[in-house]
Amino acid sequence: MNARRIDWTIVALIIIALLATMTASVVPNWIRYLGQVAASTALASVGVMVLLRAGLLSFGQGLFYFVGGYAVALMNRYAGVTDAFAVVLVAAFGAGLVAAVLGICLAGYRGIFFSMLTLAVSMVMFGIATKLRLFGGSDGLNIGLMSYFGYRPRGPQAQWAGFVFSIWIWTAFAIATHIFLRSRFGRLVQAVADNEIRVEYLGYSVRKVVWAAYLAAGVLAGAGGALAGLSARHVDAQFAYWTTAGDFIFVVLLSGQASVISPAIGAFVLEMLRSYASALFPDQWQSVFGGMMLAIVLFLPAGLDRLIILAWRMIRKVHARSANSLPQGTLS
Amino acid sequence: LGTFSAIIVDAVSFAAWLFLVAVGLTLVFGVLRLLNIAHGAFYSVGAYVGVYAIGASVSLGWGTALQLVTALAAASLAGMLIGLLVERCVLKRLYGYPEPLVLIATYALFLVLDDLTKMVWGGQSLYATQPRDSLGQIGIGGLQYPVYDIALIAVSLIVAVAVWYTLNRTRIGRCVTAVVFDSEISAAMGIYVGRIKTGTFVVGAALGAVAGALTAPKIAVSPGMGVEVIVVAFAVVVVGGLGSIPGALLGAAIIGLARAVTAHLFPEIEVFAVYLVMAGVLAVRPLGLLAPAEVRRI
Repeated sequence: MNARRIDWTIVALIIIALLATMTASVVPNWIRYLGQVAASTALASVGVMVLLRAGLLSFGQGLFYFVGGYAVALMNRYAGVTDAFAVVLVAAFGAGLVAAVLGICLAGYRGIFFSMLTLAVSMVMFGIATKLRLFGGSDGLNIGLMSYFGYRPRGPQAQWAGFVFSIWIWTAFAIATHIFLRSRFGRLVQAVADNEIRVEYLGYSVRKVVWAAYLAAGVLAGAGGALAGLSARHVDAQFAYWTTAGDFIFVVLLSGQASVISPAIGAFVLEMLRSYASALFPDQWQSVFGGMMLAIVLFLPAGLDRLIILAWRMIRKVHARSANSLPQGTLS
Repeated sequence: LGTFSAIIVDAVSFAAWLFLVAVGLTLVFGVLRLLNIAHGAFYSVGAYVGVYAIGASVSLGWGTALQLVTALAAASLAGMLIGLLVERCVLKRLYGYPEPLVLIATYALFLVLDDLTKMVWGGQSLYATQPRDSLGQIGIGGLQYPVYDIALIAVSLIVAVAVWYTLNRTRIGRCVTAVVFDSEISAAMGIYVGRIKTGTFVVGAALGAVAGALTAPKIAVSPGMGVEVIVVAFAVVVVGGLGSIPGALLGAAIIGLARAVTAHLFPEIEVFAVYLVMAGVLAVRPLGLLAPAEVRRI
């Protein structure tokens, strides 16, 4: 890049966040709640996307979701911390710490080994969490109302503030991830998926790249888990269960991996689906979910954002053609 | 001495169960090169079918042997049918796809099948303890064990020998081995690679269902039992080396022993025993103990 160009991903993220903030007081309550839950799912799914770009499918992101959510709950309960920014940062940091340690062991594995080991780790955590008294057993823990730098909203105001807070946290983490992926080191994540040995011959450590991707995914899932805890004002051991990680995989599969914004589409669709499907077929949610996943794998393996990109290219092509054909048109 | 013999008997009987659960998984991996997460669902389908078959034959007044034979036949039939459907309709279209996508597809299949068992058989736990109760107990080293559990060891060995014999001493088995080594050359030599793959998957699914049916009399058959099975089976397969039948036997023996030792001597870490063994083995040999060496392609 010789000239500093505008990064449209960042611009789009900020525009989405601004729009959401401005319309937040107009839209009904349930949309705000849906948006809040979708933001937390989207954050964790961005992490899954980063790993998937390295060719790694993690079934264990629920673990970091759990760490993030419980970091918030424990700080709120035992230390009395009510500042939302502080708890989310600590949650992301805590999850990052866990990811950094686990990543040292996991960075050497690829493919199904990576997938099943991450699954095993999160299942062990789930087993511990349901038994420990500190974590409230299988009932989980409640979270009190939050304050934002001293601003203490109550009642409907609290819900509004929670929504806006979630949206901006999502935006901030998404921008940070985008900048990471855009950097030279971030581009190596993709290269690892393409050909590890060439990356090694270029003088980079594949292990370090995988470790960094895992760390980033852990931090993102931790922040997502913190947001999920804040929006439901409750956390339970279900966060670490393998179905939670399945949700994130579904989101990335549905939305595709073109950019850090993509998972937001998938997360929103997932939460919509969940609320409608649980009303229409309360007992068949898992089949609907699995069936959709199968359909996407079979018929649209690149994800929804591929369609958007194709449409965008088509528009630009038509645009370019009409621009080119203008002189000919004037001649005739 | 009592503890020692108890550890040995527990280890062998747990290893036998592990091998039954894992053999189908490793067979399918060896030939199709995909980790079938839906194997856990085949296992639970087999368990449910087994429970119903045993229940039906008990109400018909059949003997224990006939109950078990009915359960096995029904479960393997169900497993084959589902396996055939899954392979023909879904997996066949995914050969050559990137690994994560195939993994996601089998995961999705697992979710659907798991939910279907819930829909068909309801959410509550089912029991079919009649065959295990009627076979009585046997004393080994001063402790009493159910004869059923000891008999499972023999069944597991028979399955191991049968699979080994089929793969190494029959024409079809040699074709399967050829496909494992190089499916393109095998196709050039006139082997129907597609049929071999379908057949292996069907057999693998039937083995998973049979494992479920054989386990059904020992446990409360309930929804959600497939997940743990798939992780434990993966651990067994990985310790021995993916795709290797002797490896699955070795992995089952090691993990069975580890589980029995921890259960008797250090009960507080029993839950982690499987994962600790897996982590330990993978740290030394990343592809498992009996995995063949692989060529690194640049």
